[in-house]
Amino acid sequence: MGKILLVEDDEIMQKVIEKILIREGLVVDVARNGKEALVKLEENNFQYDMMITDIMMPYANGFEIISRVKSEELGKKIPVIIISSVGNEDSVMEGFKLGADDYLKKPIMAGELIIRVKRLLARANNVL
Amino acid sequence: MIREFFSELFSGELFRVFVYDFLYFPTVIQIAVIFIFIALLSTTIAYISILVRRYRGHRRDVRRARINPKIDQLITENIILNEGILEDKPIEDITINLEGFRKPLYKKRWVRQALIDRLMEYRKNFVGTIGELLRIVYLELELDKDSFRKMKSPRWERKVQALVEFTSMDFTIADVNILPLTNSKVRELRAEARHAYIKLSKNEPFKFFDIATEPLLQWDQIELFKIITSTKDIAIPNFARWVTYSSNKTVISFCLKLIVYYNQQAAIPAVVKLLDTKDHFLRADAINCIGKMKIEEVEATLVNMYNNQPLNCQIEILKAVGRIESGKYIDFLRQEFLHATDFDLRKNAARSLVRNEWMAKDVIQELMVTSTPDNQLILKHVMNPLIKY
Repeated sequence: MGKILLVEDDEIMQKVIEKILIREGLVVDVARNGKEALVKLEENNFQYDMMITDIMMPYANGFEIISRVKSEELGKKIPVIIISSVGNEDSVMEGFKLGADDYLKKPIMAGELIIRVKRLLARANNVL
Repeated sequence: MIREFFSELFSGELFRVFVYDFLYFPTVIQIAVIFIFIALLSTTIAYISILVRRYRGHRRDVRRARINPKIDQLITENIILNEGILEDKPIEDITINLEGFRKPLYKKRWVRQALIDRLMEYRKNFVGTIGELLRIVYLELELDKDSFRKMKSPRWERKVQALVEFTSMDFTIADVNILPLTNSKVRELRAEARHAYIKLSKNEPFKFFDIATEPLLQWDQIELFKIITSTKDIAIPNFARWVTYSSNKTVISFCLKLIVYYNQQAAIPAVVKLLDTKDHFLRADAINCIGKMKIEEVEATLVNMYNNQPLNCQIEILKAVGRIESGKYIDFLRQEFLHATDFDLRKNAARSLVRNEWMAKDVIQELMVTSTPDNQLILKHVMNPLIKY
């Protein structure tokens, strides 16, 4: 059972993704903005199996969170999926450069998200 | 105190002063009093209307805050967590339980509107099976009828709202309903109708170009361009058709940009023909199009017509020669760089020389040494790879 940190400020996306992931048997911790995400990460000592994050958020954007996560020894192992309505080349490249493992542009397909999450979790487990 | 003031105002001395003596005031005072009265009245009306609007908005927000969680719960239970999605069934085989949506509460107009808005929000975030199921709910609950009612409203804001709903729900509507709106006098409605038409009309999404008499403003063009280039499965026609026959100059100008984007080689003859137009703005757009499509066969024509053109066309010709990069007109560019009196002409000639560097290396080196300090500065500027035009 994987524990996922979902960082999303859009109320609808937050609820729906949470429900979808819970249905798949995953444990989901939700942060409504960048600041909350950083607090949760530190409180839990970066003990997450995956992080799904939006980019445009108040207080700290997705890129800042990813670079913070990847700067920590424990955080380096956390696979990151970006879900964003910003789909231009620059931000996709920026996300991957910072260490994101996948990038989904909104609107998303729920089925696709599940497959990508499962695949990344499986890959992370194999590596570990 | 206040009571005394008002009783005094309406019965006594003050009232007499305001109503009776007013007629005997000097004209300047009369005018001033009237202006003050009008200003006070307008301010009061403005404040009252703001308060009423804010109160209505607040009431709507409170109602929405109450109903949205219920709608979310229904959508989650019946669509997001639908067993059919989990079992990967095809859309046709997925059954949606609409009982909850059919309760009396959901017959109220404002609740139906809240439901439409919520469905749209969900569709903004989800495509695929969930997106399709949201659309089915919109159709099954006959929410399209609510949207149609808005389309028939005389208020343009309501029509815009209806168009946004149709576009969001991918609901195809008949041309007769939407085409006249693409030429509306109201800018916002016109823009939204054009966007909706491109999105919803899969076969002939550009038909509204035929009837467009109202201009396509710059901002509209940017928006349309974004929509056209990002809409999937859109039938792209040969834009030469409008370049040749449209009487709307902004449509022609926009089509020239689309010709460049889609690299429509078949449209080149129509673009070249546009070089003879009397409208120099359109001519400049045509030259720009030729340059960006690197049509080398027309380069000689452009250089030959250069001296008879207004400044904007001359600048476009210089840019086009740079973009085509044939290296055949280095002397022409050199002459313009050295002898043109206009700064923009010299700058663009220099830029085009640099673009033709493969043939103009010696000329550029010579100019760096022999030209005036001003021109040397221009050359240095355009040779800086960090500065883009």
